[in-house]
Amino acid sequence: MTAPIEVTGSESEAQPEAVLAGMGGKVEGRSLGQIAWMRLRRDKVAMSGGVLVLVLILMAIFAPLLSSWFGHPPSEFHQDMIDPNLQRPLHGPWHSGVSAEFPLGVEPTSGRDIFSRIVYGARISLLIAFLATLLSVILGSTLGIIAGYFGGWVDTVIARAMDIFLAFPILLFAIALAGVVQGKVFGLSGNGLRIALLIFIIGFFNWAYIGRIIRGQTLSLREREFVDAARSMGARAPYILFRELLPNLIAPILVYSTLLIPTNILFEAALSYLGVGVNEPTPTWGGMLAQAVPIYSVDPWFMIVPGLAIFVTVLAFNLCGDGLRDALDPRTR
Amino acid sequence: MRRRTPLVAVGVALALALAACGGSGDSGGSSSGSGTFNAGLTTTVNQSTKTGGTLRIGNAGDWDNVDPADTYYGYSWDFIRLYGRALTMFKPGPGKEGLQLVPDLAQNLGEHSADFKTWTYKLKPGIKYEDGTPVRAQDVKYDVERTLDKSTFPNGPTYFNDFLDTKGYTSPYKDKTPGKLGLKAVETPDDTTIIFHLKKPFSGFDYFAMLPATIPVPQAKDTGANYKMHVVSTGPYKFESYTPGKSLNLVRNTNWDPATDPNRKQLPDRIQVQIGINADDLDNRLMAGSMDMDVAGTGVQAAAAARIQSNPNLKKNADSSPTARLNYISMSQSVPPFDNIHCRRAVQYATDKAAMQTAWGGPLSGGDVATHLLMPLIPGNQDINPYPSGPGNHGDLAKAKAELQQCGKPNGFSTVISARTERPKEIQAALAMQQGLQKVGIKTEIKKYPQGDYFKLYAGNPAYVKKNGLGLLSMSWGADWTEGFGFLSQIVDSRVIRDAGNTNLGVTDPAVDKLIDKATTTADDTARGAIWAQIDAKVMDGAWMVPFLDVKQLLYRPPNVKNAYVSQGLNGYYDYAQLGVK
Amino acid sequence: MVNFLIRRVLAAIALLIIVSMVTFAIFFLVPRLTGASSADLASRYVGKTAGPQAIHEVEVRLGLDRPLVIQYWNFVKGIVIGAHYNFGPSKVYCGPPCFGYSFVNQTPVWPDLLDRMPVTLSLAGGAAIIWLVFGVTTGVVSALKRGSPVDRASMGIALAGVSLPIFFTGLLSLAIFRDNLQWFPGAGTYVGLTQDPLTWASNLVLPWVTLAFLQAALYARLTRAGMLETMGEDYIRTARAKGLPERTVIVRHALRATLTPVLTIFGIDLGTLLGGAVLTEGTFSLPGLGKFAIDSINNNDLPRVLGVVMIGAFFIVLANLVVDVLYAVIDPRVRLS
Repeated sequence: MTAPIEVTGSESEAQPEAVLAGMGGKVEGRSLGQIAWMRLRRDKVAMSGGVLVLVLILMAIFAPLLSSWFGHPPSEFHQDMIDPNLQRPLHGPWHSGVSAEFPLGVEPTSGRDIFSRIVYGARISLLIAFLATLLSVILGSTLGIIAGYFGGWVDTVIARAMDIFLAFPILLFAIALAGVVQGKVFGLSGNGLRIALLIFIIGFFNWAYIGRIIRGQTLSLREREFVDAARSMGARAPYILFRELLPNLIAPILVYSTLLIPTNILFEAALSYLGVGVNEPTPTWGGMLAQAVPIYSVDPWFMIVPGLAIFVTVLAFNLCGDGLRDALDPRTR
Repeated sequence: MRRRTPLVAVGVALALALAACGGSGDSGGSSSGSGTFNAGLTTTVNQSTKTGGTLRIGNAGDWDNVDPADTYYGYSWDFIRLYGRALTMFKPGPGKEGLQLVPDLAQNLGEHSADFKTWTYKLKPGIKYEDGTPVRAQDVKYDVERTLDKSTFPNGPTYFNDFLDTKGYTSPYKDKTPGKLGLKAVETPDDTTIIFHLKKPFSGFDYFAMLPATIPVPQAKDTGANYKMHVVSTGPYKFESYTPGKSLNLVRNTNWDPATDPNRKQLPDRIQVQIGINADDLDNRLMAGSMDMDVAGTGVQAAAAARIQSNPNLKKNADSSPTARLNYISMSQSVPPFDNIHCRRAVQYATDKAAMQTAWGGPLSGGDVATHLLMPLIPGNQDINPYPSGPGNHGDLAKAKAELQQCGKPNGFSTVISARTERPKEIQAALAMQQGLQKVGIKTEIKKYPQGDYFKLYAGNPAYVKKNGLGLLSMSWGADWTEGFGFLSQIVDSRVIRDAGNTNLGVTDPAVDKLIDKATTTADDTARGAIWAQIDAKVMDGAWMVPFLDVKQLLYRPPNVKNAYVSQGLNGYYDYAQLGVK
Repeated sequence: MVNFLIRRVLAAIALLIIVSMVTFAIFFLVPRLTGASSADLASRYVGKTAGPQAIHEVEVRLGLDRPLVIQYWNFVKGIVIGAHYNFGPSKVYCGPPCFGYSFVNQTPVWPDLLDRMPVTLSLAGGAAIIWLVFGVTTGVVSALKRGSPVDRASMGIALAGVSLPIFFTGLLSLAIFRDNLQWFPGAGTYVGLTQDPLTWASNLVLPWVTLAFLQAALYARLTRAGMLETMGEDYIRTARAKGLPERTVIVRHALRATLTPVLTIFGIDLGTLLGGAVLTEGTFSLPGLGKFAIDSINNNDLPRVLGVVMIGAFFIVLANLVVDVLYAVIDPRVRLS
């Protein structure tokens, strides 16, 4: 975690000359958001990261279309492409099964279309990561603001809670819970239950990271004059929290959310790799990697493709997050 | 921040290229030793009588227990003969000869009463423990008493609990009689005679006498659940040290007298077992020659299987060993529409057995497509095929659709297939089945359960099965010993069905039960074998189980190992009591 | 200072108690909430063909039929003063800390934990040294040479490092360096340090590098950001204005301010890893605490799971405590708050 950023520090007020020059001489006040957006636009690498993220999201949304245009149904077996004794694809470079019909080859043993499974796997990874991040951010920000603003025993309780959550070995708990929750809970069952459980585990156990940062930010913000001013005008706590403090915290919340998403993608991949992700035959990237483990010495392609998928996705989000952070606080470029 | 992504991309591409050029250029396997592929099935490979050396054994998993009263793994029953002798054992040697029982501690096979309820054995004279004290019949009785205590020793088989007339005896640890020999169902009138009193007749009791439960345990040295730390040996080797989960080391037992034991050899000086090593690592070591044997005997992993089958130098050291294990799908009669025989027959015809065979590893590493319950290893087996699966065994869709019409579901139906989470091959096979059934409109959802609880809480729990609609249950069953009773009794007898922990997942046919009773009272082996074949045919008639794989294990015997052969009696494992390294 | 120490130690103990309660709850309470009875729980630990009588006996032997609070109390008692266990013919005394006996094979849990600790310690310790040195150095150099090709290249690699899943990197390194190039044929089998130091080290090189690569990348980015922020502070400008040589400015002022938060995070990271680097140990099949945890969870072996989770939490809490105390030593304001 990088050091907390100052969003209203001296440096981020930008160099007025540069802004003026870019405007062609007209003098006009610019909001922080506009300044940040201008900086972001100039950062080519971050923009390409953003484009990549967009492509991935579209790929996930249009997975069924893509799969039917370029590949085969993700669960369909094609064992005629597989050597029954050696378990690996018969054709293609490096025994990958890559051909015009199967653009990314076929899986060993079952012969399922890798391209389709990758594209559908994006759905699981992105869905779980986004929703879990949302949960973390909502929980963490709310509790962080409350702790930072009210101080006293409220702060102590929430801060201790953060300590407790940070002390848990989250991976072990995720595995344990996933193994123990069966049947029907809250009307959900099967894969629906699994996905909800994963979102809950990843989101719930991670709130303390954001919580700590937001709490720190709130602590420093509440000493500012604008808060005093609001209070002296008779504003009550909810007003101050949501109308005064929150807008100033949007920037760090945004930045840390964008940095939390790739962490959650990796977390979901790890859980799928360990076998506690969603159920068969729904494809997940981590699950495909786990299946590749016993056979990678004869079919390395099947290990490389899902690993690369995870890598590229996480990289894209990291580039975005870095770019966003640099746009809001160029000191650390 | 510019231009770092191309660098990253180049670096990653380079790494991947290196990784992909792997696995080729095999230099494993030597060209020495006289072996050919599958030689171990019919001959003893690399015969030798030279003594010395250390036999290095690896186990990717762990024993359930090395204590004779508490073990149920096939390989454990094979290995335990190195440090324990039971009343009877399977005859050593490859081929069909290995299916016969011969006396071990006993002088002869059991003498029985006319009603098959009383069995008497006399012990051979002169057999001693590792410390020189003589073995007495009372010690055999003591171990049988220990196996009855399912609280201290929960893992072992329950044949003695089920057949002995225990009259409420639960455990030697609650026994107040002197010497703790209070079990009246087993008599020891003198130090060399032991008499068993059964409550139901059983003509195959010699098979029970083969179980590790009859390995003698001296009561004075018994420390209960801790006895496994040093089991007192009657075999050619004794414990030198045992660290559970890590290693087991055996050394020569100088008090083992080969004159009393023509069935074992004592060739290596030491036997060293490493427990819990990585399975792929174990295979690599076997092929490189730094490990001599994989004791678990379930065959090499997928990567090694591929290497072995594509490299003739490695393949000649391998045996594709048939076992008495069947992989099948059981249908639950409490879950509609499986209460209708035509719907069950539809599934029989539609199952893509060839795809499931590939999922399990193909013909050499997985097994043969099965068409009925018994397998070639079982004496009396009749090769029948009541539901042919079409050309290439991919399913006979026309016949399946016809059966669906007859059961009133012309467009198929929906159900659930259960499988065990820790068994990727089982899950792959379930997926293959899912695909096959889909072709006739039968839609399935796959549910995974942990293997530890599979029989207790899920597939083997009739209430759970009914409530959750588990129509198709993935199953794999290996015979306790290679004979009809040892294979079928726990899976087709309706009287073994209980509230939980079932292995008979849905066969309830009184006619089958009657035939089982007839078989257990038939003395003649051939006649008995014929009855088991009848039972096989009858259960297949009811279409309750879809057998799809007669499991074969691709075993590897390094060329420096001597006297390796596959024992049919021991269910397709190498006979560990014969091996040498010189 | 002593007051502060006492307060923190008490807080640490309270934390451990809470973690133990939550772990207990997950394994004992949640199954009940989703409908399992104590007989169902007990039936996991019996063999294939056990009947209801045997299941009941196992229930009693393992104490699963007692109320949860009693079971928890027995667990805590065992850790603090030891317990007696019935082995059949006699009772055995298990001294403190007694984490009980494995439900699956009746071996004592604590010696197993002790046995696995050196592996995890070797892995975490070795990797920690590598990543701290490489990560921090790279970060500092990058910050000082901001915008140069060195900076861009190292930040590029660092970005790749934090974007790669560790199990993928591990598998790749095994495929390339163990199987293909055969530089480290033994990677993945642990040989004790006292047995054979050379093999110990060579077998651990791949896991060390895999783990350290990921962590170093993180630390490089962290250090660079912190360094840049510090270098922009007013007091650095003042120091330079005073005429101090650049080296003194960097080493005595900037570095100290940068490294303090980095070391805090290092302490916590190390503490977490000591509880079991689950993914790395799983990928390389090292018999450490992480793999022990996964195997125990898969076997539902509750005493072992409780044991390994408690050890993990203990290390994390200890690391937190050490870091807090160090902070208090350095910064008097913390002591007095």
